[in-house]
Amino acid sequence: MTDLPGYDIRYTLLTDESYLRDWLAEPGMLHWFSLSQEKEVEDAIQCWIGFCRYGCSLTATIDEVPCGIGTLFLMPYQKVAHQCLLKIIVDPKHQKKGIGSSLLKNLKHLARNQFKLELMHIEVFEGNPILHLLKKYDFHEFARQDHYVKENGKYFARILLETKL
Amino acid sequence: MVVLKELTIRPTTLEDAPFLVQWLQDQEILRWFPMINQREIEDAVRIWMTYQKLEAGLTAIWQGAPCGMAVLYIQPYKKLSHQCVFAIIVDKEYRNKGIGSVLLTQLMKHAKEKFHLEILHLEVYSGNPAIHLYQRLGFKEFGYQSHFIKEKGEYLGKIFMQKYL
Repeated sequence: MTDLPGYDIRYTLLTDESYLRDWLAEPGMLHWFSLSQEKEVEDAIQCWIGFCRYGCSLTATIDEVPCGIGTLFLMPYQKVAHQCLLKIIVDPKHQKKGIGSSLLKNLKHLARNQFKLELMHIEVFEGNPILHLLKKYDFHEFARQDHYVKENGKYFARILLETKL
Repeated sequence: MVVLKELTIRPTTLEDAPFLVQWLQDQEILRWFPMINQREIEDAVRIWMTYQKLEAGLTAIWQGAPCGMAVLYIQPYKKLSHQCVFAIIVDKEYRNKGIGSVLLTQLMKHAKEKFHLEILHLEVYSGNPAIHLYQRLGFKEFGYQSHFIKEKGEYLGKIFMQKYL
């Protein structure tokens, strides 16, 4: 846990949706996601926040105000149910304070101990500063797909990383 | 529409769904897919068929009956809409007749001409004989996830491949 005053972590609530929406609307944030249009953002928020019903999503708070969300996207098929996809976001106003690191540690614990998962993977786009944090937490790259994203005529790779739990 | 001797390729229709269910019920075919039981098969076929509405599916017809299908999982996000992943299946009774090759060649043409796609990619499990077909048609590996499938305590890896159209 970070030593930020008033910092805590709890399970995500459906009402955290508005914070997720606000963070995604911050300038530059969508560059790191597949989203670009209002309807895409809204659909993605509904899908993301919907996972909180399974108790597989954590929200970091400062003085009880959400400042980051991390979610285990559980797999729908039995043969792949030993692993999950991770999504994580930190309020741009509170980045570089250890919140992402704290969320990652707690999500790995939740995945391993509550859901008995063996592997967790994440998909990030080329240049995302979270790559350093992921490598620190034992995520290793297993795929790099060039030209996966096309934004304003420029292409970016997607990088897939995973960690054993 | 393409006619190669007795083989015809036409757009997939909703009436083709029972053939897809039937092929997937064969354990020899199902081992190359993430589904494991009837509920998961029906869920996967339902998703496959939603792309039929976008005219993103092709069905191979041999002597009047469907013998294979392929689908483009068209991306819902604008930034990713220049590429997509696809799936292909050929009825076990019709293997080694070149149906997979014709179907995939037509799918690539369809992807380029109708959807203006620049890249097609796929996910295939280690040991699947279809890997040779993908290599022959120009798909290149860009990643490998070693423990993707867990079935009866055994793990199976997933290979990622893509091709520029």
